[in-house]
Amino acid sequence: MRKLFKSIRWRLQIWYGLILVVVLAGFGFTAFQLERGRQLRRVDDESRVRIAALFRVLRGPQPQGGGLPPRDGGLPGDAQHRPPPQEDPLRRGPLPPEDELPRNPPPQDGPQPGRPFGDGNPGRNPPPRAFSVPAEEARFYDGAEPNSYYYIVWTRDGHELSRSANAPVIANEPPRAGADLSTDIRMRGEVRESFQFTPPGECVLVGRSIGPDLAELRRLAWLLTGVGGAVLLLGLAGGWWMATRTIQPIEEISATAVKIAAGDLSQRINATDTDNELGRLASVLNSTFARLEAAFAQQGRFTSDVAHELRTPVSVILTQTQTTLNRDRTAPEYRETVEACQRAAQRMRRLITSMLELARLDAGQEQMKRMRFDLSATTQDCLELIRPLAEERGIAIHGELPVVECAGDPERLAQVITNLLTNAIQYNNHHGEVRVTAQQQDGIVLLVVADTGKGIAAEELPHVFERFFRADKSRTGASGNAGLGLAISKAIVEAHSGTIEVSSKPGMGATFTIRLPAGAVAAAEPVA
Amino acid sequence: MRVLIIEDEPDLLRGLAQALREEGYAVDTAEEGEEGLFKAEGSDYDALVLDVMLPKLDGWQVLQRLRKTKKTPVLMLTARDQTRDRVKGLDTGADDYVVKPFDLPELLARLRALIRRTANQTRARIEIGEVAIDTAARNVFHANVPVILTAREYALVEYLALHRGEVVTRTTLYEHLFDEDDSTLSNLLDVHVSNIRKKLGHEFIVTRRGHGYCIEL
Repeated sequence: MRKLFKSIRWRLQIWYGLILVVVLAGFGFTAFQLERGRQLRRVDDESRVRIAALFRVLRGPQPQGGGLPPRDGGLPGDAQHRPPPQEDPLRRGPLPPEDELPRNPPPQDGPQPGRPFGDGNPGRNPPPRAFSVPAEEARFYDGAEPNSYYYIVWTRDGHELSRSANAPVIANEPPRAGADLSTDIRMRGEVRESFQFTPPGECVLVGRSIGPDLAELRRLAWLLTGVGGAVLLLGLAGGWWMATRTIQPIEEISATAVKIAAGDLSQRINATDTDNELGRLASVLNSTFARLEAAFAQQGRFTSDVAHELRTPVSVILTQTQTTLNRDRTAPEYRETVEACQRAAQRMRRLITSMLELARLDAGQEQMKRMRFDLSATTQDCLELIRPLAEERGIAIHGELPVVECAGDPERLAQVITNLLTNAIQYNNHHGEVRVTAQQQDGIVLLVVADTGKGIAAEELPHVFERFFRADKSRTGASGNAGLGLAISKAIVEAHSGTIEVSSKPGMGATFTIRLPAGAVAAAEPVA
Repeated sequence: MRVLIIEDEPDLLRGLAQALREEGYAVDTAEEGEEGLFKAEGSDYDALVLDVMLPKLDGWQVLQRLRKTKKTPVLMLTARDQTRDRVKGLDTGADDYVVKPFDLPELLARLRALIRRTANQTRARIEIGEVAIDTAARNVFHANVPVILTAREYALVEYLALHRGEVVTRTTLYEHLFDEDDSTLSNLLDVHVSNIRKKLGHEFIVTRRGHGYCIEL
């Protein structure tokens, strides 16, 4: 399980989920708070408007005919026959000095600061006054409406001056918070009440049950929670999908790598889209795998070729010795056996020497000399060495060898030339020809060895420089030719930064062309 | 038993041929595919030892062409010991496989088994009346007493025993007991038969006048 949660996909998912939860919670909370504030502000603003209107009723001249008493006409009267309880004015705290009053203007349409309201004397209970709410105002306090407002007005000494019919019974008048004449808001259960004191000390309270609003807010909260949850789930699902899509190429790479590690080098990552980062990684890995596979295949082929080459001489030795040892032999018979074993051993030695040489060339350990010498002279020496073999087979060798200067290792290049000449003689027809030319052009030295033999078949041409490749399959054990000569020649030429190529038309002979840089290297060294 | 070896490595060919001759086989040799195929098609060998890598025609091609006319048992010699090579060889019609480098005793045992199987004889020991032939050790017993036979005599007894109940013509015997270099006179066969009768009992080999010889069931 721990391992599971350590997977990139799960980590991505967990981080993604956490971020999504925080974002959604923040968003939902903000939306809820905004909506709640908006709702409450709507209620409060409306309450302030109501309070201002009631203030106007309180302070203004009594409406003349236009004003109606509240529908429940008994209210003002009711306030009247209940004498407000006597209260020690001191208990309400000291009133601010007159000059400070303008600093606390009542909001909106409240009374002008400093303007006397009632008799303006805080020290005395004002006489009960008639309080009648104008008709256009009274309709807001219709108790039949579910969201209707109610009001209560207290006199300065805490007597209820007036209340709307739907006003609940409130035991105590709101606490007078010192000289604060701004609108205060309080919550009583699901009822929100705004109240404000007039400068003389009367208190006007407007309230409303906000139960339905709160219920609506709760519904909103649930809705936000629900939608948020749904969005979260959707987001998580989307995140999972995206993570899966993102991870999938990685998993494919990983699965392929596992298969390759298990030994199946032919596996490749399925990289369809090579433009993105992972696609590029996949194609890089694929080409690496391809090279790895090729290297392994070459190594495997090489090893099996070596083993193959060793099998025949070992078979000879085993067969010869086991047969000979079966019974007593005469001296000539033993001699024959030992000679056969010697031939087999020599063949193996040739093979091992060639293999070691190739391995050294592969590893770049074979140090090539860098000296200037006349390639034609070297070629001429090789020609003279091999001429007896050519004459034995009735083959004519023609050399066209002007002085051609070249930089490199004359001994190793002589080895290449001798190898090419030997091939040209061995694979030539009886009384054939071998033509060797050397020339220099455009900073390049060209050495061409052409024969008039049966040539090389087109399908075999690309393979002639491969190790252990033989143009004809005959294992002429006598020749001891393991098919490494051209591979070694190629390696030597390439160590000289040159190239070797072959062209052939079957029946028309084969032509080998060596191109070497014309001795820009180590120009300071003397011509050998 | 007459065997053809097709192998291009001269030292190996010579060693093999010598070993087989000393085992009492009549041995013919060929150094390349075309010659080998020509010889294999030309006479009835008891077995063929065929190398895979050959000049002119390789072992596969020789085998493929030979199978069009002959059922001669073929033992392939190969330097490749990969499964697909063995499968290819067996599918092409090879009867057995020996991978180079091989041990001579193993090659000889496989060759004997191959020849025995071809004659529908699964065991190495053949018993005919009082005569017992151990084809592995190349020994013959008469009433549990070892009998000394020359290589030719043994080859003749073994061939007739493997083809028990059949009348074997003189030509067939010549073909299977003498290699291409033998310049044997025809009456030598009668000398061998007469010698065997002296050693194993007169009734052991029956002469069918005008037809040939037979060891009866």
